[in-house]
Amino acid sequence: MDAAQRKIGRRKSLARRLSEDKKVQAAAAVVLPVLLGILIFGLWQGGVLQTIFRTDSFTLPAPTRIASLFRDNFGKVVTNARDTVTVALAGLIIGSLLGYGAAILASFFPNMGKGGLSIVGAFASIPVVALAPVMNNWTRDVSTEASSRSMVAKILVVMLIAAADMGLNAYRGLTELKPYAKDLMATYAAPRRMVFLKLQLPNSVPYIFTALKVSVPASIMTAIVSEYFAEYITGVGRQIRENIVLAQYATAWVYITAACIIGLLAYVILMIVQAAVMKRYHF
Amino acid sequence: MNAAEYTRNDVPDEIVIRDLGVTFQDNKGEDVQAITGVNLNIKKGEFVSLLGPSGCGKTTLLRCVADLQEPTDGDIHVEGMTPKEVRLQHKFGFVFQSPVLFDWRTVKKNVELPLEMMYQTKQQRSERADEMLEMVGLTNFANHFPNQLSGGMQQRVNIARALGIRPDILLMDEPFSALDEFTKEKLHEDLLRIWRKTNKTILFVTHNIQEAVFLSDRVCVLSPHPGRLSAVVDIDLPRPRTLDMKETPAFNQLVLKVRNSFEGGSFS
Repeated sequence: MDAAQRKIGRRKSLARRLSEDKKVQAAAAVVLPVLLGILIFGLWQGGVLQTIFRTDSFTLPAPTRIASLFRDNFGKVVTNARDTVTVALAGLIIGSLLGYGAAILASFFPNMGKGGLSIVGAFASIPVVALAPVMNNWTRDVSTEASSRSMVAKILVVMLIAAADMGLNAYRGLTELKPYAKDLMATYAAPRRMVFLKLQLPNSVPYIFTALKVSVPASIMTAIVSEYFAEYITGVGRQIRENIVLAQYATAWVYITAACIIGLLAYVILMIVQAAVMKRYHF
Repeated sequence: MNAAEYTRNDVPDEIVIRDLGVTFQDNKGEDVQAITGVNLNIKKGEFVSLLGPSGCGKTTLLRCVADLQEPTDGDIHVEGMTPKEVRLQHKFGFVFQSPVLFDWRTVKKNVELPLEMMYQTKQQRSERADEMLEMVGLTNFANHFPNQLSGGMQQRVNIARALGIRPDILLMDEPFSALDEFTKEKLHEDLLRIWRKTNKTILFVTHNIQEAVFLSDRVCVLSPHPGRLSAVVDIDLPRPRTLDMKETPAFNQLVLKVRNSFEGGSFS
C-alpha cells in the first residue's frame, strides 16, 4: 500500500472532523469573537491592558467605572446623543436625496453627468477637519441663534459626504443595466419615463444600500468630527473633546462608548432594512 | 433560389427587405460593412431562419427589422410600414439571447411588463400573463422570482413575455444558444407548437444548422466579410415536425444542402 492510499484509508482526526462540520463552523463564528471580547474586557478590567499600553487607569478607566459614570450621566448622554443623531440623520437624508437626484440628472445627460459626479466626489474627499470651519464661516448669517446656525453648518458637512457617496453609487445603479434591458424596453416603445420607472429605478435599489453601508457610519463619524469645530457646544463628539480638554478622561470614555453604541445601532437598523427590502424584491 | 418563387405565392409578403446595408465605424474610424445588399421577402405566418457564423451580420439584420438599429442603405417595410411605425404599434415581439428578466419582479410580473407599457388594466394584464404562462407550461412558477428558475425556464418566460403583447411578428435572436441539448430540443417542440397555435411570422437568428433546418420553412444562409445573403434553402419537411425527423435521410440531406450553400462550402 503506497502513501496516497494509506492517506485515503485513514480516518480523519477528531479536530479535523470538527473543523469541517458546518454547525461547528457556525457556532465558532459567534463564540470565538465573543471569547476574544470577554478576554479583552477581562484584561482591561484587571488593569493588564493599561500596563500593555503603558498608560494608567486615569487615562483608561476600567469598564465598570465607565459604566457607572454612564448610568450617572445618562440624561446628559441622551441629550448629546440626540443632537448628534439629529445632525447625522438630517445630513444623511437630505444628502442622499440630493445625491440621488444628481444621479438621475447625470443619467439623463450622461456626457456631462459622469464628469459632474466625479467633481462632487472630489469635493467630498476634502477632510471634514477642513470642511467644518469653512461651513461655520458660510453659515454665520443663517440664524441669530448659535445653536441653530451651528446645527446647519454641521448638517451641511454631513450632507456633502452623503450626497457624494449616494450620487456616485446611484449613478451606477441607474446606468449599469443588464445587457439588452434597454433594447427590450425599446421594443415595447417604452417612453423615457417608463424606462426610468420600470427599469432604472428598481435596478438602482441594491446600489442605494451599497451607498448607505458607507454613508450611514460616515454620517455619524462626520457629525462627531464636525461637532469638534462647531460654534455651539453640544453632541457626543464635542463632549469627548471637552472632557479630554478638562482631563476628565472617564467622562470622555462615556461619550466614546455612546458614539460606539450610536454607530452600531445605526448599522444594525440599516442591515435589518436592507434584509427586508432585498428579501421582498429578491435582489 | 429566389424568395419570390416560394411556393406559398398567394400569401402576402409581411416583411420586405430591399438592398439592405449596414456600415459601422470601427475604433480607428474606418468603415466596416456589417451587411450589404440583402434582399428578402418574408410571408405572413412563415418561419424563417437567418443562419450564419458569427460576424455575418445576422443579428444586425434582425435588429434593423426591429428598429433597434438604423440601416445605412436600403429599406425595410413591414405590412407596408416602416419598422419604427410597427415598433410603436407593439407589433414586434423580440426574444433576446439572454432572458433579460427583471430580478425584482416575479415571473408573472415580468410577463406583465410590456402590457404595463400598453396601459392595460390590472385585470387584463393578469389574465393575459396567466394565459401566456400556461402556454409555456410555467403556471406553477408564476410567483417565483427569475433567479429561482433554470436557464430553460427563464427563456420560456422570455418567450411568454414576447408573445403577451400579441405581436404579429416574433423576432428571435439566438434564443436557445445558451441552453443544453435536452432543454433546447424541448423548447424547439414548444416553439413550433406555439407558432402553429398563434400563427405568428417568426424570424429566427441562429448559428446552429440542425436547429435552423428543424424549425424553419426557409433557411437564409448568410456569409461573413461582408455579411451578405448567400443562399435561401426551402425546407420542405412535413409539419408538424417531430424530433424523430432528425434521424431521417431527408433531414440530413437538407442539413448537408444548407452546409454546402455557405460560400466556400464549409461552415468555418
